[in-house]
Amino acid sequence: MRDIAGTVACIDGNTFMVSDASGDVESSPSTPVGLFAADTRFLSRWRLTVDGECMTALSVDDSQYFEVTFFAVPGRAVDYVEADVSAIRRRRIGPDLTESLTIFNYGEEDMTLDVRLEVEADFADIFEIKFDIEEKAGTYYTKVGKNELRLGYRRGTYHREVVVSASEPAQFDPGGLRFAVRLRPGQQWSTRLQAVMLALRPDGVDLRSALRAQRPDDSTLPTSMRDWVAAAPTLDTDSVGLQQVYHRSLVDLAALRFAPLSLGGASVPAAGLPWFMTLFGRDSLLTCLQTLPITPSLTPPTLRILASLQGARTDDVLEEDPGRILHELRYGESAAFEEQPHSPYYGTVDASPLFVVLLDEYERWSGDAALVLELEQEARAALTWIDRYADLTSTGYVWYQRRNRVTGLDNQCWKDSWDSISYADGRLPGFPRATCETQGYAYDAKIRAARLARTVWGDPAYAERLESEAAALYERFNRDFWLEDRGFYALALDHDGTAVDSLSSNIGHLLWSGIVPPERAPRVVEHLMGPALFSGWGVRTFADGQRRYNPLGYHNGTVWPFDNSFIAWGLRRYGFGNEAARIAEGILSAATYFEGRLPEAFGGFDRDTTKFPIRYPTAGSPQAWSSGATMLLLRTMLGINPHEDHLAVDPALPATFGRIALLDIPGRWGRRDAFARQRPTSADGSVS
Amino acid sequence: MSETSDFFERLAVAGQDPRFSKVRGSVRFDIRDGGRLEQWLLDIDHGQMRVIKSGGPATTVIKVSAQVADAMARGEVNGLAAITRGEVIVDGDLALALRIGRLFPRASGRSQPDDPDSGA
Repeated sequence: MRDIAGTVACIDGNTFMVSDASGDVESSPSTPVGLFAADTRFLSRWRLTVDGECMTALSVDDSQYFEVTFFAVPGRAVDYVEADVSAIRRRRIGPDLTESLTIFNYGEEDMTLDVRLEVEADFADIFEIKFDIEEKAGTYYTKVGKNELRLGYRRGTYHREVVVSASEPAQFDPGGLRFAVRLRPGQQWSTRLQAVMLALRPDGVDLRSALRAQRPDDSTLPTSMRDWVAAAPTLDTDSVGLQQVYHRSLVDLAALRFAPLSLGGASVPAAGLPWFMTLFGRDSLLTCLQTLPITPSLTPPTLRILASLQGARTDDVLEEDPGRILHELRYGESAAFEEQPHSPYYGTVDASPLFVVLLDEYERWSGDAALVLELEQEARAALTWIDRYADLTSTGYVWYQRRNRVTGLDNQCWKDSWDSISYADGRLPGFPRATCETQGYAYDAKIRAARLARTVWGDPAYAERLESEAAALYERFNRDFWLEDRGFYALALDHDGTAVDSLSSNIGHLLWSGIVPPERAPRVVEHLMGPALFSGWGVRTFADGQRRYNPLGYHNGTVWPFDNSFIAWGLRRYGFGNEAARIAEGILSAATYFEGRLPEAFGGFDRDTTKFPIRYPTAGSPQAWSSGATMLLLRTMLGINPHEDHLAVDPALPATFGRIALLDIPGRWGRRDAFARQRPTSADGSVS
Repeated sequence: MSETSDFFERLAVAGQDPRFSKVRGSVRFDIRDGGRLEQWLLDIDHGQMRVIKSGGPATTVIKVSAQVADAMARGEVNGLAAITRGEVIVDGDLALALRIGRLFPRASGRSQPDDPDSGA
């Protein structure tokens, strides 16, 4: 996994290691390389030398997400003419790090080699790395044993430790370990290195010990991944590119599965490498929505963990309210000492409605009414939150204004960077703000909850109330957000109700939520597919021509695959199959330039100008909702939808793909296949 | 009487909480004050809650110092943060422990330093 330029990653949920191409870690305080678990860096240096020379990798095999193999020789790439000594480092991430090191002597002489591994642990919290904070409040210790090196960090009762050991005799010192290796010509030598990561309670028990017992260890990871792939539908297509993207996305979703402490070993999607390797309300909900036809097993644990951590009280630091669904959950030092508000942080306005949307969509696919009953109380609480706590101006909308003025988020919608919400002329609106797509989610949540109230909860009166509230919101929204002269919806409302008049991708989400009257949809679609928004690869977050537009602006002009997948879903909802197909073609074609892996975002440059998608410098990769985008785009191309107890198929294929078949799609119907084939004039499909 | 005892006494009187209508389980608080051990046992059965000051077996055990327990009763403790930093020790069902944590008050509108840059 090589996405931060020149780095290689090895992942198992929220445990991961990012090294350079030779397998070494030499971290600086502000770069996210090293060995991480639970938002903490347990190894900040892990550097191999042979006779004092560092290693250069000739080749790297990272085809398994949890394992990477480096074939390396001593010396800088330009130095060697003939390598007598070579090495293989096979690294595997499970609950701990294991690395098998083998040294070969292919020379003609006997050799005595000084094999050295430099080890350091800074126990940096991921936020200290992000904000480049070097001062730590606690104290470090180093314990050199005969057979191990223990590096630790304590701050009051907070205690983290890493224990490095080897299967062959080694000499340990505070800076690492060394082996004296004697090799005759043709001989090889091996050792198995291990770094055990401990999050210790005062009684010496690891915080995660109960969880570890229920998770696959490093020996069962390959089986766990094979089972994951085998359980997913099989894609049969004439497009080699699409096949590659599908497989990569499926494997990346497996890599990002992460088991929160309080979920009894079940796993949910972590949001993305390297900064977001934890539970995010919005990301996990949208990823589940994207992947329901492919990997529905992600959804019940996601809904359950978010339900179990649903806000219960009012707290201005965490921005918690009763019923609010969390934004971000962290286990690092900054969360533990409440220097960051992530235990958990609730500063999001869309996770609560999306929680209800996912619950309904999941039931439509799975028929699992039991889960809808189990989570009835939480779903009702999320809906109550929308009306009681989110309507900050009593105008009937979902608004946000941060209450944590130090570390809270300014923008609590999916575009959560500080400058993502602006007028066309560049001015930033005041607070509170109400973004358009959130109102769509709230509308959809009410409509969907009404169905659940009627069919599962047995509460028709509640259903009617929700429907009348939804109808009122629909009226209100179409009055206050619609810019008649421009033909699109305002990005947001300013604190005083003024429409924030910029053109953005957010209007595509409104189609997905169904809050757009059919007669207005063509004008919205015209904007989405017009040159200001559509780059040829996908819909830009922010339209060319707006003052703050920048093709490399994080939320101000880049193309986000996840965003596009929901826009494509919305286009299909309103009957714009060809337009949805154009988006699917653009995004999936872009993926082939990233070895099948869709990054978090890429540049918004015009496709005709650059011919290939431009990498966004700090884009996370893999990213759960980017991998999920592949799955949702497959859904929109095939036009598969649960229809009562059947799977309906209504394909709209882009011309690039001649044939797509998705076999064994799981759902309330058991398993069904969906076929789509390009016909001279239009796509044709069937279900079997 | 300590703030902790006050808190549990109030729970005992309440006897039920609709937020636990689907929860079953038992949680014991082991509160240590120097050499002294105070134990409270919560039995929850679908919203009905029995709270007694005693030991006895429980599926989940929460161990804290008397000082931390009092802070919890005053609503000053973030349970998950305290668990992560080793101040509160949970054996058994962590999810249940976190749910129980919701019974504790929260000092509403906790004070926070003003952000000098905040113009809005």
